[in-house]
Amino acid sequence: MSLFRAEGLVKRFGGLLATDHVDLAVERGEIHALIGPNGAGKSTLVNLISGLLAADAGRVVLDGVDLTALAPHQRSRHGLARCFQITSVFRNDSVRDNLMLAVQAQSGSSFRCLARRDAEHALQQRAEALAQRVGLTEMLDRNAGTLPHGVQKRLDVALALASRPRLLLLDEPMAGMGPEDSAQMVALIRSLASETAILLIEHDMDAVFELADRISVLVYGKVLTSGDAAHVRGHPEVQSVYLGTEAPAPLTRRREAVR
Amino acid sequence: MRKPAGRHSAHLPGLVRRLPWLVLALLAAFPLVAPAFGLEYYVGFVRRVLIVAIAATSLNFILGYGGMAALGHAGFIGVGAYTVVALVEAGVSSAWLAWGSAAVIAGLAAAAIGAVSLRTRGVYFIMITLAFAQMLYYLAVSLRTWGGDDGYGLYTPLEMGAWLDGAHAQVFYWVVLAIAALIFALFSRVAHSRYGHALRGIRDNETRMVALGYPVFRLKLAGFIAAGAVAGLAGGLLASHNAFVSPSLMHWTQSALLLVMVMLGGLGRRWGAPLGVALWLALEEALKMHTDYWHWPLGVLLLLVVFHAPQGVSALFERRAGKEAAR
Repeated sequence: MSLFRAEGLVKRFGGLLATDHVDLAVERGEIHALIGPNGAGKSTLVNLISGLLAADAGRVVLDGVDLTALAPHQRSRHGLARCFQITSVFRNDSVRDNLMLAVQAQSGSSFRCLARRDAEHALQQRAEALAQRVGLTEMLDRNAGTLPHGVQKRLDVALALASRPRLLLLDEPMAGMGPEDSAQMVALIRSLASETAILLIEHDMDAVFELADRISVLVYGKVLTSGDAAHVRGHPEVQSVYLGTEAPAPLTRRREAVR
Repeated sequence: MRKPAGRHSAHLPGLVRRLPWLVLALLAAFPLVAPAFGLEYYVGFVRRVLIVAIAATSLNFILGYGGMAALGHAGFIGVGAYTVVALVEAGVSSAWLAWGSAAVIAGLAAAAIGAVSLRTRGVYFIMITLAFAQMLYYLAVSLRTWGGDDGYGLYTPLEMGAWLDGAHAQVFYWVVLAIAALIFALFSRVAHSRYGHALRGIRDNETRMVALGYPVFRLKLAGFIAAGAVAGLAGGLLASHNAFVSPSLMHWTQSALLLVMVMLGGLGRRWGAPLGVALWLALEEALKMHTDYWHWPLGVLLLLVVFHAPQGVSALFERRAGKEAAR
């Protein structure tokens, strides 16, 4: 049985059918990439899965637990974590405080209001371990907002990792990155695959073909096809709607223009 | 050269740590030394500052730390004050029972109002909290039994307990001071707790907090209820202080004034609320002595603060203290 299944997800915005009966499965230990042209509904789908948007129809099941009726913070507690397309960290706080906040959500009550939080060694240790995991140990006391974009993205991933997720949703982790940062992120994502299954949304085709075990192609809110890299590369409809008709040569080369 | 510099910077944080105690000692001594300088009148004034500071501290907590721009905080002050009126009307004479009930009833009102308002964001939240407070205002206006528009006089002071009442003419002052100090210490402590960190996280990036697994709505509601209860307590104390309660206590302009004072002092800063309240009320008092048109200089002051110290007056002090420590 798949670790994660989305079944018949539907989302309408007025007359626009942004998500059109999407079925999607992610297996244990798998990096599953979701690609598609701009406006295909990739971010909407991630928001439906993480619960930030309520689906009009369909189900979301993780590890046999139906998450459909749960609020986003409850889904997070069931092992579903996500990053954001636009880097979402606490810009005015240090890296350490960012990680402490993420770790704090996972153990004990956040309604405790008298004891000093920073005196909790267990939290400090877990925050430092997370920093080490994504290579931020040197920057623990730097202000998150002052860090370079690539480093902030890694912090974003670390925040999501704090919950020890079973499924990690990464919404364009390479967006706006130069080649060096991209390479680091690719290495990080690959190293995460041993801990969690990953649903990766990405425009960077090099990264997608390098990382993904399976690729699903989303077009106009519908899954066009699903399969391994070779299958997707060779799929004629994918070539015409998403990658341009003259494929497959550009497929391996193509790097989406950074924003 | 290193040694004196090191000693100096070690010295200053010590002073900062002792500052609250120094302020507390000065305030505690004030009623004793005031008569010697002919300042008895100002004991009552400082008492009012302290009570308003309690309410402002609770507003600073949800607005400054929690990012909830509530424009109806005076409503909870009013609920507290009218709770005292209701209990006195029913024959209650214990101050502790009356003030405690003021906090509890205002907390309950905050739970009901918060449960609805906190489902909205931004301007809508401002408008809905304002609307609820105005409803309470008109409710008080229409309640003839408690004086309606004319207000309600509390002719016999509430009793604080056997030895307290006769001990000194200024016992009520010290009681207010003790409560204000306790509230200030409590909120300062909460700011560094798990809850305080979570609240600030929600203020800075609510969506991320949701994704991290925080029950954001319940966390905000808890803060809103606590703040409402403390404002209600301030309202109860204010009823005793004025020996009079009228609907004007919770007019929306009072909520706005409270907001202005907190912003003047410094949003989300430990000393923001008490400093803002003290500064605003002291200036108001001083200006009133010289002119009937005391509103406009205060308006000018507000403009100056907005342009030159947008983080509030306490930020100026903090910056200076930071520089000294760095020196």
